[in-house]
Amino acid sequence: MKRRNLLAGFWGLVVGLLLLHNAYLWLGERIAPDTDILALLPAQRQDPVLQQSFARMAEAAQQRLIVVVGADDWAEARRAADAYRAVLKSRDDLMQLNEHITDQALSDGLAQFQRHRALLFTGEDEAALRDQGNEYWVDRALANLYSPFGGVKPVAWQDDPFGWFGAWVQARAQETPVRPRDGQLYVGDGQREYVVLPITLRVPAFSLATQQATMALLEQARRAAQKMVPQVEVLVAGVVVHAAAAGEQASWELSVIGFGSILGIVLLIWLAFHSLKPIALVMLSVVVGCLGALSASWLLFDRLHLLSLVLGASLIGGAQDFGIYFLCNRVGADAQVDSWQLLRHLLPALLLALITTVVGYMGLALTPFPGLRQIAVFSALGLVFAWLTVVFWFPLLVRPDTLAKIQLPDWYTGSMAHWPLLGRDRRTLVVAMLFAALAIFGCSRLGISDDIRLLQNPPKGLLDDQIKLSKLLDLPTPAQFYLVRGATAEAVLQREEALEQRLDPLIAKRLISGYHAMSNWVPSERTQVARVQLIEQKVLSDSGALAVLAARIGEDDKWLAATRQRLRAAALPLRLDDFLKTATSEPWRYLWIGQVDGGYASIVALKGLGRTGLPILENAAAGLDGVRWVDTVDAISRVLGYYRHYMSWVVALSYIAVYGLLYPRYRGATWRVLAPTALASVATLALLGIAGQSLQLFHVLALMLILGVGVDYGIFLQEHGARRDPIAWLAVVLSALSTLLSFGLLSLSKTPALQAFGFTMLIGTTVVWLIVPCFDNHPVEKEEATAGF
Amino acid sequence: MACLPLLGAAPVAQIQAVLAKPKVFCGRFDQNKQLVGLKKPVTSNGRFCVIADKGVLWRTLQPFPNTLRLTRDEIVQFRGERVGMRLDAGKEPTVRMVNNVLFSLLAGDLGQLEKLFDIDGSIEGGHWNVTLKARAPGLAKVIGAISLAGGVYVQQVTISEASGDRTTIVFTAIETGDTAMTADEAALF
Repeated sequence: MKRRNLLAGFWGLVVGLLLLHNAYLWLGERIAPDTDILALLPAQRQDPVLQQSFARMAEAAQQRLIVVVGADDWAEARRAADAYRAVLKSRDDLMQLNEHITDQALSDGLAQFQRHRALLFTGEDEAALRDQGNEYWVDRALANLYSPFGGVKPVAWQDDPFGWFGAWVQARAQETPVRPRDGQLYVGDGQREYVVLPITLRVPAFSLATQQATMALLEQARRAAQKMVPQVEVLVAGVVVHAAAAGEQASWELSVIGFGSILGIVLLIWLAFHSLKPIALVMLSVVVGCLGALSASWLLFDRLHLLSLVLGASLIGGAQDFGIYFLCNRVGADAQVDSWQLLRHLLPALLLALITTVVGYMGLALTPFPGLRQIAVFSALGLVFAWLTVVFWFPLLVRPDTLAKIQLPDWYTGSMAHWPLLGRDRRTLVVAMLFAALAIFGCSRLGISDDIRLLQNPPKGLLDDQIKLSKLLDLPTPAQFYLVRGATAEAVLQREEALEQRLDPLIAKRLISGYHAMSNWVPSERTQVARVQLIEQKVLSDSGALAVLAARIGEDDKWLAATRQRLRAAALPLRLDDFLKTATSEPWRYLWIGQVDGGYASIVALKGLGRTGLPILENAAAGLDGVRWVDTVDAISRVLGYYRHYMSWVVALSYIAVYGLLYPRYRGATWRVLAPTALASVATLALLGIAGQSLQLFHVLALMLILGVGVDYGIFLQEHGARRDPIAWLAVVLSALSTLLSFGLLSLSKTPALQAFGFTMLIGTTVVWLIVPCFDNHPVEKEEATAGF
Repeated sequence: MACLPLLGAAPVAQIQAVLAKPKVFCGRFDQNKQLVGLKKPVTSNGRFCVIADKGVLWRTLQPFPNTLRLTRDEIVQFRGERVGMRLDAGKEPTVRMVNNVLFSLLAGDLGQLEKLFDIDGSIEGGHWNVTLKARAPGLAKVIGAISLAGGVYVQQVTISEASGDRTTIVFTAIETGDTAMTADEAALF
């Protein structure tokens, strides 16, 4: 007796601590769940540099937001943008406008290249220097000389007589179509004129609070712009917008699913017990489970993903099983049996039910998906906490006379008597053959899909905006790029140049429209040295282009010597480190990963890439040392595929493990406990196939949970025998219905992954529930079936 | 105080009223460039045409032939008969702006120029002078100052670049109407 009270007291202490910790987390720390759906994906274990390059591309995008405000003419666009900007500036704690890339910065940036201008030329001009004779260069110099409109050249004629620096500056400017205009950033598409507003968020994009505040502010700004110029066009793109859309959807689903399943359970228990006490008791165990799961997960992971909470919300559907089972048995038991004795009697079944369910969740915890691991740990801990609450507190709280006897309706008890039972007869054989045929037909139609869109399903409007904006601004694709590595920074730049040799022809073929690379700005030392030699030989030598030019324009040797001197002085080596320190390099710094893992690495990003070009671009990296083609979409799909495969094995092995766990207690009848779940899983797969769905990771994950939940029903019935104990059957019915309620609601989710998960649970649980009584081995006698009441 | 800018402002409306606005006009240009570091000025001459709503044709004849055609969306350079260089607005968005400015300069369209430049000037007896200063500091750094002089047509443009290079272009023998353009000039448009 004493030990029991001690345990109950100890549990009271634990629950008290949980309450305090939760209060501290929500009220003190004001924790907000993560909403980055890609956090579900595993870290790239095998390659830290590759992982860093992913992170670099993601980071470059994550905190950024691009807004363009367009109208039919520039003046209108500016007025609208002014109104838009004014609203954003009211919250400079939230976001910062990056319009400092204006004329001033641009010309200052140019000034810093002046000392290196003789070395900076485009690939085309480099080839021309090598291949063309003096005549070509003299013609070009003269054309520049006589050109009436010199004002667009960056430097005086004598500083760049052949115009190669001018061409280089133009090529660099053309890396983006955005131009400074009247102190703002401008882009046009020939029809409309747009003001570009690059924005950096000052708070993490993946926090719900940021998203809500940001979206509200953007909407307010849009309205202000619209008020100023009614036909204004505002396009917004940025990770935060997608995250907000996903987050909004998830929080809505979280509340609907959570609320729906709680309501369902309350209703069910009311119908069964006609009393509020069982509701309070079951809710108590569920609440303690949730609090415990939250606290422990937060301590383990330091963060919580919104998806863990969404899936965790369905945990409510699983955690009440133990309480319901205990209460049903309490009602069904003799008043002479005290609650502790009853618990001792029920403990083996409760323990097996817990372990087999947790084994299912632990299968999820084995995946390297950080998000899934969280979901698994969250759910498993929630179940353990709910279970402990039942075991430590329920016998104290529920006295034999706490609950009134219930009268089950006749049709209910009667229904069990007529439930078909498997046997060595023709009927069973026919059913088995029909089932086998259906299973083979369905499963053979089941396709496979590992598409990344399973994880994210942004609203169409957002996607359209993004596509239009990418086109307008000619942005590089974030999903595919080259990762270039080398022992030194110089080696990386040289390898980039080797890659560019292969990419330039692809631009000519219009497979890509261009690329962003650090070596566009800073050629490798080797190239710079080679260029000095090239200029000396082709341009500055006595028989070079400059001497011929001097003769043509009638200048003397003094001019020749002075101009040579000027060009040589402008051939100072340009160093990467110096460039990275300048303001001009700011938009390009993300390309340079720098020193990592004992070497250096960089990114070469591609613009104007279409789907058809992917294999050719992948091929372009083939055979180049240290150059790797990275396709994040493909990589994620591959990872999803890998874990679909991997989890299928985990499911299969779990069946064996569960069989092993159950065998010591049920011996020859163990298959009766496990078979309904296994058959239900097969039936689910077949139905998915018939419904035309493709098998994906989230179906397999749901099969794992079906194992956990379905085996409980087998255990409950096997412990008591459905026919002799309608109370066990009542527990199964209540559990199954509430599981269906919570997971069934999950299948309403708009996120394809959650929907697949919910749908699978819906079918699987229904089938287990319907067929589990068929596997009963206890002979039925009618009078016994009603004897308990 | 509020009136001061008005007193200093160019009599843009008066100058606009003096200027003829023919649909097509062609003429001779004489260009003189004084470049930093070169002793002798660089001179050239040739023919030019300004076609409203279409663009500008700039044919250098002396010392060697070179033709530029500027339209709304591109700048094309002809070396002899073939295209030497082409710059289109799709790749270089400033093309539209540059072409717009040049067209406005040659046509004396001060209304358009006022969007980008501060205009200062005077008019006396049908002859006028204006100085343009770019409003955007970045543009001012590259272009420096531009001055225009003329009467019914723009007669002289002077561009002083920030680098110290200075270009003066004088326009003479201006013709208008259908006969202004020669057949091979028309063929280039």
